[in-house]
Amino acid sequence: MSLAIHRNWTQFAWVRLLSVGGVLLVLSQLDGLLAGQNDFVKRLIILAGLYVVLAVSLNLINGITGQFSMGHAAFYMVGAYTAGYLASTQFTRLNLPLTLWMPLVMVAGAIAAAIAGLIVGLPSLRLRGDYLAIVTLGFGEILRIVANNSTELGKAFGLNVSPNFRSIGLTWGLAILCVACCRNLLKTSRGLQFLAVREDEIASAAMGVPVTRTKVLAFVVGSAFAGAAGAVLAHFEGFVSTAMFSMDVSFILVTMVVLGGTGSITGSVIAAVLLFYIPEAMRELPDTPMARILGAPIAIVALLRREQERFHGPARQKWARNLGIVLGCVVLAIALGAVLANLPGMNTMVQGSKLRMVVFAITLIALMLLRPQGILAHHELSWDWVQRLRGKPAPTHEVSA
Amino acid sequence: MPLAAVELSTLPQQLANGILLGSIYALIALGYTMVYGVLKLINFAHGEVFMLGAYAALFASWGLGFTPNNTLTATSPVNLLIMLLASMALCAVVGVIIERFAYRPIRNQPRISSLITAIGVSLLLQYGGQLFLPTSPAPNIDGKVNPYRNAVELKFREAPLALREEAKGLESQVQKAQAEWDARLAAGESRFAPSSEGRIVRDALNAAKTELNQKQTEIARQSAVVVLPVGQLIMLGATVVLMGLLTYLVMFTRPGRAMRAVSHDFDSAALMGVNVNSIVTFTFLIGSALAGAGAMMNATFLSGTKIDTFFGMLPGVKAFVAAVLGGIGNIPGAVLGGVLMGVAEALVVWVGIGQYRDAVAFVVLIAVLLLRPGGLLGSSKVEKV
Repeated sequence: MSLAIHRNWTQFAWVRLLSVGGVLLVLSQLDGLLAGQNDFVKRLIILAGLYVVLAVSLNLINGITGQFSMGHAAFYMVGAYTAGYLASTQFTRLNLPLTLWMPLVMVAGAIAAAIAGLIVGLPSLRLRGDYLAIVTLGFGEILRIVANNSTELGKAFGLNVSPNFRSIGLTWGLAILCVACCRNLLKTSRGLQFLAVREDEIASAAMGVPVTRTKVLAFVVGSAFAGAAGAVLAHFEGFVSTAMFSMDVSFILVTMVVLGGTGSITGSVIAAVLLFYIPEAMRELPDTPMARILGAPIAIVALLRREQERFHGPARQKWARNLGIVLGCVVLAIALGAVLANLPGMNTMVQGSKLRMVVFAITLIALMLLRPQGILAHHELSWDWVQRLRGKPAPTHEVSA
Repeated sequence: MPLAAVELSTLPQQLANGILLGSIYALIALGYTMVYGVLKLINFAHGEVFMLGAYAALFASWGLGFTPNNTLTATSPVNLLIMLLASMALCAVVGVIIERFAYRPIRNQPRISSLITAIGVSLLLQYGGQLFLPTSPAPNIDGKVNPYRNAVELKFREAPLALREEAKGLESQVQKAQAEWDARLAAGESRFAPSSEGRIVRDALNAAKTELNQKQTEIARQSAVVVLPVGQLIMLGATVVLMGLLTYLVMFTRPGRAMRAVSHDFDSAALMGVNVNSIVTFTFLIGSALAGAGAMMNATFLSGTKIDTFFGMLPGVKAFVAAVLGGIGNIPGAVLGGVLMGVAEALVVWVGIGQYRDAVAFVVLIAVLLLRPGGLLGSSKVEKV
């Protein structure tokens, strides 16, 4: 028995080492491979990576531990300002090479954000649900107003961060590290405590789970990753200002976590990339008449919701039916657009770029009305899950702690 | 950070400002607290309903002829009443629509889903509104629509007579110097690079102005005068009347009794034959109409208030804090909390750290939730398994 476990472990160790080595190799070559792309594409890739870090780390707090936080932009800001402050005061004095400086700054940003997370996490002992959401939002705003009025932090102008460092490999390395940490955390007994707190606080306290410590730990770990992402952002943009970390950023991050499915790490990754890319792509959108913009969401919400509720049949038919509903939505949206176009004032052209946050809002509402559990719900996008979807029994990995 | 010199003499004025501002917060807070009482839902979109109310008042004033660059001079209280009704009616309709299409379908889902939907509705109104509503340059309701533009001065203590006489003398000096300077300007003197004689005249004018300013500050320090714009007093009066009506409605009418029943126990009230859906609609209607009244009065009587689609965000948050401070779900608590929030904000300005006036709401909120989660007039319940 012990031999079997041992063999299993050594096998896994080899797989682990190989995969870690492979990832590092790919990451180190990533900047070289993508060197041919233009700056805009590189910028999108790097920012998408940062959003993945933010969404996954927020998922640890919101989805996995169930502590509804709406102040994640604040931790991002703390990391970015820490990096900005260090760069403007210490960089020329220490004169370190950038490859050494970046990890140091990321660690510093993470530590500063973790301390902020600890401070925010402490009230979470007494609050739950919507109150906690408001308080975290409030903490974020307080930090922002303080930074906005602090002379050391450059008031509303922010700080200039002198060495620019733009590396796709570093950003996505951080993203992968974040995903790996969260994923591996859930495989340990400590990770199960996070899930237990989410499911039922009172019951898990009765079972001996240290509820307080777990909640605060979730805040500390989640905000540390956000802080590291902030440090990368500061060196990527070359400046930090409070306008970059408004409430909207927190709302977007919450949308990402909810869209992906609260608690699902892969869901957060997918939603982060999608919700980051779609608004960027919409900048290119031609001006659209008002009628179409109004018609589409009405059609989607009205039709999808009705049809979804009516159906109680086998899962396989549901797929075909859902496809039909989506097609029906498109037809209805076009028809509604045509009808609305006859109303006065409905042919005003709207710039595509103005629709950015409107899309977030409609996504949030439609999601909550149609599929409150998110794209992947609490599942992870893994090979086993796909197998199970196709009706084949997959091996179960029961965690014995 | 150095605190500006705290002036005890300006305290009564700031307190009065705080109470007047607080009456608006109280009106918004009532909507939060009523909806929370009935549905246990924080209606994040309430601030945006407030914003739409301000726009309704703006459009009503335009409809009455007070467009930008109008040449009207006369106005009447009827105009104000029309604007108030327009604002309240639009807000009531919007509130009911939001409830019907965004909150009702997910009423049985976990509360977090409703919260996220509320954030979504709030973002939709903020950013969607930018597609339809005039935002840049941010419009404001023409002050001329308000017939009550004069102010009441309450004098508690006058500055010594000698000081006032001195100030009067200085005033005439300034006027004389100004006339001299104006004459030189009219004679072709350059405003920015005057000749040497011109410079002497200008410096004399500036010196006289500085001296007058110092004297006026001294007078303000030694006297205690509270200036109350009549419009804002009417605002306070209207708020009190609306709250009286609300109290009557909730305590002494059938729908009010049903509302209290639903608030006490949602499921049991439904079993006892209360039409829960219509009561929830009614609650949203009343709460949103009150927000509309607050929006119209804010945009009209605090003259020069710029309206944009984010207009409701900060008042919304502050009113929410007010509702929590007073004890959420508690109607007198919301009024008390609103007034206290207004006063707290005025005190922050008084102490001289006015740039933190938006942060004070969150500080109060965190303090209340940590020290007395039930609020001042509320009672906190221990959750039982």
